[in-house]
Amino acid sequence: MPVPNDLADMLARVAMRDRAAFSRLYQATGPKLFAICLRILKDRTEAEDALQDIFVKIWHSADRYSTAIASPQAWLNTVTRNHAIDLLRARKPGGGDLDAAETLADDAPTPEDSAVTASEGRRIDACISALNPPRGEAVRLAYVEGDSYIELSQRFDVPMNTMRSWLRRSLIQLRECLSHG
Amino acid sequence: MAERDPMQPSDSDIATAGEYVLGTLPQPERQEFARRLETDEALQHQVRLWQTQFSPLTDEVTAVPVPQHVWAGLQARLFSDTATPGQTGVPRFWRWLGIGSALVAASLLAVVLLDPLSTIGPQAPADERLWVSDMVSQDGEIRLAALYDEDKGEMRVSVGGQAPGEGRDWELWLIKDEMAPISLGVMPRQGTAAMPIPDELRALVADATLAITDEPAGGSPQGVATGPVVAAAQLRRI
Repeated sequence: MPVPNDLADMLARVAMRDRAAFSRLYQATGPKLFAICLRILKDRTEAEDALQDIFVKIWHSADRYSTAIASPQAWLNTVTRNHAIDLLRARKPGGGDLDAAETLADDAPTPEDSAVTASEGRRIDACISALNPPRGEAVRLAYVEGDSYIELSQRFDVPMNTMRSWLRRSLIQLRECLSHG
Repeated sequence: MAERDPMQPSDSDIATAGEYVLGTLPQPERQEFARRLETDEALQHQVRLWQTQFSPLTDEVTAVPVPQHVWAGLQARLFSDTATPGQTGVPRFWRWLGIGSALVAASLLAVVLLDPLSTIGPQAPADERLWVSDMVSQDGEIRLAALYDEDKGEMRVSVGGQAPGEGRDWELWLIKDEMAPISLGVMPRQGTAAMPIPDELRALVADATLAITDEPAGGSPQGVATGPVVAAAQLRRI
């Protein structure tokens, strides 16, 4: 029965082309990554196809994480969100397609970064709560649901420019809180 | 221990990196940002920080069981060789060469041509006791090939492309099922070499995966891989 601590080990073995480890990784993380796809794509068939593509990517690029000692979940989440949001934006005209998403996996957290921020862990929740409620919610929706500025501005009923300056200011506040909290 | 970025990113860069990671950055700006990101290490650091910091937000997302056909399809896509048993050696070998990159073919052929056992070819019957593994790094710069002869218990290895860095060596590992990787020794810096496989390991070679890691000169002192995986590939019968 896989536990989260095994994820880094599984990824390292997957990087070494260990199919049994790939199967375990899929069993351990597939349902969560599938849920992330569903939240962003809101379409079951599309999410199923996306998940398959994501695991193909994981199989081929796990070696980029092979030296990792912390936060494999952040790497997996990044690969998953990038792919799902890429599909989402491509589907919705005006959302702006994220053609750079392919390269995003390369920018996934390195062990160094993970180690730096591992202790911060759940601090993101505290820092989001410290923002004005609608602004914190906007950050959460953008991350978890993949909302674009168009969707956020409709949801919160504010002009898009206003939405964007809210979010940018929230991000600066968030980083301040995350670095000093 | 709060980390101070020596480059002190501007608030604007912090916000834009955040928008980039969230996926809300509008397209023209996104492209511009991606261009800067290629060379700007401080910006890369900002992107990684956001990716790590936002990641716990998915804790609230409840896992959903994945339909069985997704895994079946995934296996078919990635490991279709297992779905077509009963192929004779020769067509399988050429089929495999055909789907590999030109570099893979080149490195493998280098081994085959340099090896006195190179009776492998469209005219020759497949030797059931030979296994090959081609290992090509992600960027294609590092190419290593191994040819294992079951009768001799010998692994012929060939190193092409980029050499290991100063004071570093490539170390070859045998990976079998659930076992921890087993070191087969340090690769030559260039060219070919024969690596005898100890008797006790010979039974493990079939269908195993070979991998190369970047280690201190002379190989990992601890006997376990310490460096990143440079390249890996499964051994296939030819």
